[in-house]
Amino acid sequence: MSRRVYLDHNASTPVHPEVLAEMLPYFAESFGNPSSVHAFGRDARAGVDLARERVARFLKVAPEEIVFTSGGTESDNFGVKGLALARGRGHLITSKIEHHAVLRTCEWLESQGFAVTYLGVDEYGMVDPDDVRRAIRPDTIGISIMHANSEVGTIQPLIAIGAAAHERGVPLHVDAVQTFGKIDIDVAAAHVDALSFSGHKIYGPKGVAGLWIRRGTKLVSVQHGGEHERRRRAGTENVPGIVGLGKAVEIRARDMAGEAQRVTALRDQLWEGVRARVPDVRLNGHPTERLPGTVSISYRGVESESVVLGLDLKGIGVSAGSACTSGSVEPSYVLRAMGLPLEWAMGAVRHSLGRSTSAEDIAYVVESVEPIVRKLRAAVPVGAA
Amino acid sequence: MRYSAALLEHFLNPRNAGLMREPDGVGADEYDGCGDLARFFLRVREGRVSEVRFQTYGCGPTIAAASAASERVTGRTVASLLDLKPQEVEDAVDGLPDDRKHAADVVAGALRAAALDALRRGGQGVA
Repeated sequence: MSRRVYLDHNASTPVHPEVLAEMLPYFAESFGNPSSVHAFGRDARAGVDLARERVARFLKVAPEEIVFTSGGTESDNFGVKGLALARGRGHLITSKIEHHAVLRTCEWLESQGFAVTYLGVDEYGMVDPDDVRRAIRPDTIGISIMHANSEVGTIQPLIAIGAAAHERGVPLHVDAVQTFGKIDIDVAAAHVDALSFSGHKIYGPKGVAGLWIRRGTKLVSVQHGGEHERRRRAGTENVPGIVGLGKAVEIRARDMAGEAQRVTALRDQLWEGVRARVPDVRLNGHPTERLPGTVSISYRGVESESVVLGLDLKGIGVSAGSACTSGSVEPSYVLRAMGLPLEWAMGAVRHSLGRSTSAEDIAYVVESVEPIVRKLRAAVPVGAA
Repeated sequence: MRYSAALLEHFLNPRNAGLMREPDGVGADEYDGCGDLARFFLRVREGRVSEVRFQTYGCGPTIAAASAASERVTGRTVASLLDLKPQEVEDAVDGLPDDRKHAADVVAGALRAAALDALRRGGQGVA
């Protein structure tokens, strides 16, 4: 295998060389604890402060509204539980296609006595803002809707959803892990109150993320201990990680717009190329309101893991939209919520492009997938899928 | 790579995939709770399997296991396939990860069913 093509940027991204360079001194040189008063501690604190400012500048918010966490999952837990537990009881609204970090948190809150409405989505994976408006009850205490879905890339109409929440004075948490640093986010225009973001989806390191909390928003901590992060998130800061996240955000501010345009063109080339060569395929997600690099394609009559394996053997990294674990096939809950018939949902493959993706990579993927799918289909019993 | 070289080779170049005209025995198996499905067609001469064809719908290991098993059972007596064990199918692909053992189950199940069908038909060449 010679050529290697990584098309799984929604899962994780390689650390940008400039990010890595900026992080390195914080492992063994500026290694102090940011809470320490001496010079060692102050060096580390300066790194954390700069990162906070960079994130704040990018989101056009105040630095003290940013809380660093250990990952998108913690940020989502903090955002959703923080809103709910601050109010003690009541009703929450979310969607059926949220990341498990939100869905499982909501399920846990249900077990603790909260009520939750899980909104459906349309065939493109979009939440209807009017559904949000209709679901709001007198006891609704919070809404959590993702900005874009990781599997199909559909971007939610956040401005309209935010308006619906704001009309009724209900706080809105947004899981922006897949959009932060990829497309514009206007927290003011969308009336967002808390926003989750992550480092490793934007060429920063793993193990670091954040939650932006609008000043004045009532939100309790979920992790207790020391007085870090203005007493909102206990635990010694992951200084190298935070420094890396800050640098990654700075680079995104510089490169995001140009890259989005380039990657969108490649994304569309991939779909057009596959559609032209492989019969019985469909594009999942919204045709236009979609993340720049995300292409989910369903191959009817084949099982997605076998396509992923076939592409892996050609050096191409993509991910399956259905997972077969211990003998039980789990078609993606996102695709099922979109109403995709099983025969299509089972054959969904996600390609997520990024900054290193080239036109040659896309041509190679298009040329590789056709024989794989043709061979798989040749062995499929009629009517089995 | 979590799969053996033998498994990947069979996955990439499946042997005996496809339909068979007028088989002497046909059998299918589906794994419970899983969409994985295998169907085998047997041609029998003098009580022995002279030709095997299969169709599968499932993950890569299922396709590979079907291909490897189709080679392994060719030439055997039909009666001997009645107690074909999943372990033997697994051995034919040099092992399966724990969460893919069902590939061997569904392939062995389909081959046993095809052998039983051939014996029940008791047609030409089936002793």
